[in-house]
Amino acid sequence: MNNNHKVSVWEPPFIQPHRVGAINKFGNRGAKENVMREIFGVSIDDLVDQFGSPVFVTSEHQLRMNVRKIRRVFERRYNQVIHGWSYKTNYTGAICRILHQEGSWAEVVSAFEYEKARSLGVPGNRIIFNGPHKSKAILERAIAEGAYLQADHMDELKMIEQIASEQDRIVKIGIRINFDTGFTEPWSRFGFNLESGQANEAVKRISMSPHVRLTGLHSHIGTFIMEPRAYGEQVKTMCRFMRDLDDIDHINIDTLDIGGGFPSKNALQRVYLPPDQAVPDINEYADAVCDALVEETRYLEQSGRALPRLIIESGRAIVDDAQVLITSVVGTKRLPDGRRAAILDAGTNLLFTSYWYNHQVQMTREPGGVYEDTVLYGPLCMNIDVVRQSIQMPPLVYGDRLVVSPVGAYNNTQWLQFIEYRPNVVLVHEDTNVSVIRRAENLAVMNAQDEMPAHLSYRTMADEGSLPSGKTTREHLIRR
Amino acid sequence: MIEKMDTLLQRICVDGRLAKLAVSETGFIFDPQTGQSFTLNQTGLLALDLLKRGNSLEMTAQYMSDEYEVTMDVASSSLEAFLYQLGRYL
Ligand SMILES: Cc1ncc(COP(=O)(O)O)c(C=O)c1O
Repeated sequence: MNNNHKVSVWEPPFIQPHRVGAINKFGNRGAKENVMREIFGVSIDDLVDQFGSPVFVTSEHQLRMNVRKIRRVFERRYNQVIHGWSYKTNYTGAICRILHQEGSWAEVVSAFEYEKARSLGVPGNRIIFNGPHKSKAILERAIAEGAYLQADHMDELKMIEQIASEQDRIVKIGIRINFDTGFTEPWSRFGFNLESGQANEAVKRISMSPHVRLTGLHSHIGTFIMEPRAYGEQVKTMCRFMRDLDDIDHINIDTLDIGGGFPSKNALQRVYLPPDQAVPDINEYADAVCDALVEETRYLEQSGRALPRLIIESGRAIVDDAQVLITSVVGTKRLPDGRRAAILDAGTNLLFTSYWYNHQVQMTREPGGVYEDTVLYGPLCMNIDVVRQSIQMPPLVYGDRLVVSPVGAYNNTQWLQFIEYRPNVVLVHEDTNVSVIRRAENLAVMNAQDEMPAHLSYRTMADEGSLPSGKTTREHLIRR
Repeated sequence: MIEKMDTLLQRICVDGRLAKLAVSETGFIFDPQTGQSFTLNQTGLLALDLLKRGNSLEMTAQYMSDEYEVTMDVASSSLEAFLYQLGRYL
């Protein structure tokens, strides 16, 4: 050890990550060289001619393949696996239906999502009800219908208890817990904290109630987790808590829900390598989860007791690459700093996820000319409406169609109805027929929610003169 | 807690990416897997160097406490915080 570290002033050791984006000039993925004329087996020009631009295009085949794969890799390693489809990731009805057909339960986090799942025919006992806001009315319904509730906080626990007693039932519930895995920023605002003893308090509270029984533990450690070992730690911690509950409180946990968070093959903005290299394979996650699970539940197996069922709530890993967005160039310019820019008919209003992903952008015609650093703007009158800050693109012209991918996760739910109508979402069936699964908005849709008070109800500005007393609006108001 | 710190140490320093990081003498770090770069302060650089050489947490804390004339308490608690921080990034 040499001595040149010696400084006079003590300062706690600290590591400072450098600012995102500043370093990876070469990391900006360019429009892929290969030209896309078809998507999911259907001609892009036909899709736009028929359904307009922009348009979200979803693949039924890819969606089914993805969910089957994730179940297969987990079921190969552990016996009882349930996939709960995270509605918030994409709750377009047809997409949920496909996943329910594949055997996925519904994982919902609000009254709306609960009602949506029921309206799609999902029975209450195949709904996992999470989230920090469950109103009394929806809890009453969910409890009566036998949904599996995972409680987030003490007030909710009290409410569940009260409803269970009013309905004179014994309700089996799970609690969401949070803790530090040492790998990711803990999502400590959700559920009961383990390290501080909150989780134990919740357990105590439940034990005292004749109407509520604790049968499950839930945690969700974050989203787009690039480190499979985080799940190993998560499962270990959950299992050890389960074992403590068994040993000390004689509580038998039959369900471990590890949430979602497996990454999709998308490019996070701060990640330098392309997703094919940066994102670990789903098998690595399944190994981390199931190795820990098998190891930590060996004591149950040895005494001939049932192992807990495993719930996974994977969202983005299932739907992200099953959808693309086709968008068109509506204008091009040179920015004062010399960079090329193009304005697209789809921006962050439709691609909410472009705030943290560098989506892949592909040309649909043979590119001509020199590739240059280009900014892709959306159509909004808002400075932060940027689809890609920096991407190598050939010269673009008005009317060029671009394919942005993958976009299936969180865009059809987090999109903003801001300034523009939201476009068609279509599904390419397994036989490559195409149908609309969510119709584009139009004025009628937008106005449907407006209500007009009687004194403002006139049809045209010209009718304004025919207010009572023949005064104009302004005079009318002034007189009153 | 102690056991957890040791596993964390094992993961980061022995199995993990730490071994593959390029660390310059001025405290600039580059992670070839993600392209992410970092800066370490002087004490961070010292701690990392000691840990990479296979010193235990306790030995590292002891060394730092001697070097900077701070109590063992101060050295080891800040070392733990540092290790958690490394765990997040690596
Ligand atoms: C409780 C819960 N489960 C599942 C998910 C789905 O996560 P992902 O899409 O990252 O798999 C989320 C997303 O935030 C969540 O909060």
